[in-house]
Amino acid sequence: MRPVDKKDQSAVYQRVVLKNASPYHYMKVCLVLEDESTRLSAVELKQFIITGLKNLYGEVGAALTFDLLKYNEDTLTALLRVYSRGLVKLWSSLTLLGSYQNQACAFRVLQVSPFLLALTGNSRELQLD
Amino acid sequence: MSVDLDQTPRSLLVCDRSSFLDEKNRISSQVEQLHFNYKVSVLLPECSSAPSHLDSVLNSFSSFYLIRKLPIYELLDKHFLETAVYQGSVYGLSYRTRIDEDNCVALMPNGRLCLSLDKDSFQVLGVEGKSSRFNHRTNSRYVVSVDLTDSSMAPGGRGYMRLLTGLRSRLHLKSDFLLSHHPGGGASLQPLLSRYDWSEHRPEISTHAMTHLSCPTLLTSDLQSRDTHSFLEWLGAVDGDISCVNSSSSFLSSFVCPEPKTTLSRALRVSICGLLLPQDVHRLIQEIRSYLEQPRLESWVSLTVHGFADSPVSWGGREHGVLRGGENFYTLLMFHDHTYHLHLATGAHDSCPP
Repeated sequence: MRPVDKKDQSAVYQRVVLKNASPYHYMKVCLVLEDESTRLSAVELKQFIITGLKNLYGEVGAALTFDLLKYNEDTLTALLRVYSRGLVKLWSSLTLLGSYQNQACAFRVLQVSPFLLALTGNSRELQLD
Repeated sequence: MSVDLDQTPRSLLVCDRSSFLDEKNRISSQVEQLHFNYKVSVLLPECSSAPSHLDSVLNSFSSFYLIRKLPIYELLDKHFLETAVYQGSVYGLSYRTRIDEDNCVALMPNGRLCLSLDKDSFQVLGVEGKSSRFNHRTNSRYVVSVDLTDSSMAPGGRGYMRLLTGLRSRLHLKSDFLLSHHPGGGASLQPLLSRYDWSEHRPEISTHAMTHLSCPTLLTSDLQSRDTHSFLEWLGAVDGDISCVNSSSSFLSSFVCPEPKTTLSRALRVSICGLLLPQDVHRLIQEIRSYLEQPRLESWVSLTVHGFADSPVSWGGREHGVLRGGENFYTLLMFHDHTYHLHLATGAHDSCPP
């Protein structure tokens, strides 16, 4: 390391603690269908979740904006982003979504966090042999 | 009624801004206090392949061991205490146990054994403990924490025998266990390992090169609260391969890279997973600092360290739990002028990070 002239140092130290400040919450969900070979496209999945919101919360509820950040069509796993104040509405409508095109289905919520980074480093995914 | 629906569990984000050159910076203690690290992820802008020094540091991360169905009383074995716990530091964590459902065990490097038990197991064990800080209305979770290096827990003593008989004859606590030792490595753990079904594991390294990545312009001046969260969100998107390119009329997603932004022609993401020791993380940080000293196209590197979600302890032995999520991670954004921004994040069942 190069020696630094101590006179140049300005001790800038700042510590900020933010509580409940995250504007969004992120959910990792997985759709489990009765017929395991059924596939949905990303657009179909988002539309399906919007109908769930509409069933539970009506037109105003269906206007709750959420983003489908990432979608894996083979495993039917999706990453959703929603405003923090809309988390409970989105989660409850996912819970009560019971059927897709006349077959039974269920949404499994795998992880929820106010930080997207937390969803990429979940130690529960650690698989050793 | 709609006000209640807006509530979400409490989360904390601590943002520290300081310089490595400031003698009073606490970065070393903050890194060391997170004992059980699951994943370290590094983002190198304008870089297409890992520099050889960084590569060698990553490859030199300590191995860790997995013991299947370890009876927990074995951690009190006299020989194990003398060869491993009293000399150096042992890092041990129960594997595949969920802190909100099962009994979890952690052995910290300072010789502290921490058992997080449900009510029945705690009552059967019959050892002094405290009810969990995060119990709500009913006491459903208890924490037994003993210092194995303390004189009251010396082999043969009353406290020691009570815990040993509790774990051996009353509560037959058995779990798959992840174990690592610093600086001895596997040698000091061999006597314990040889008695059970064990396997050695190297931390898994994966690299991913990206091209044409939109990136927020990073300035060393004030990062407002809103900018902090959007920067962390962008980092999460890069880590999770989430596209930042969405038109305003897109039906699926409106997620975009935070403004002001630039485009990186290339970037490299390296991650390493396993039971990682804070000493190895510290060495990696020093190596990245010397990497940044050379003149570069982009003068920053970001490092994210995730703790275990199911560990009974988080920073500095403070209790940790899972309510909706078990996040306890920190992101260190380092600049070439030796300044850094450190963000430490925890969820509901956690105390404030150091």
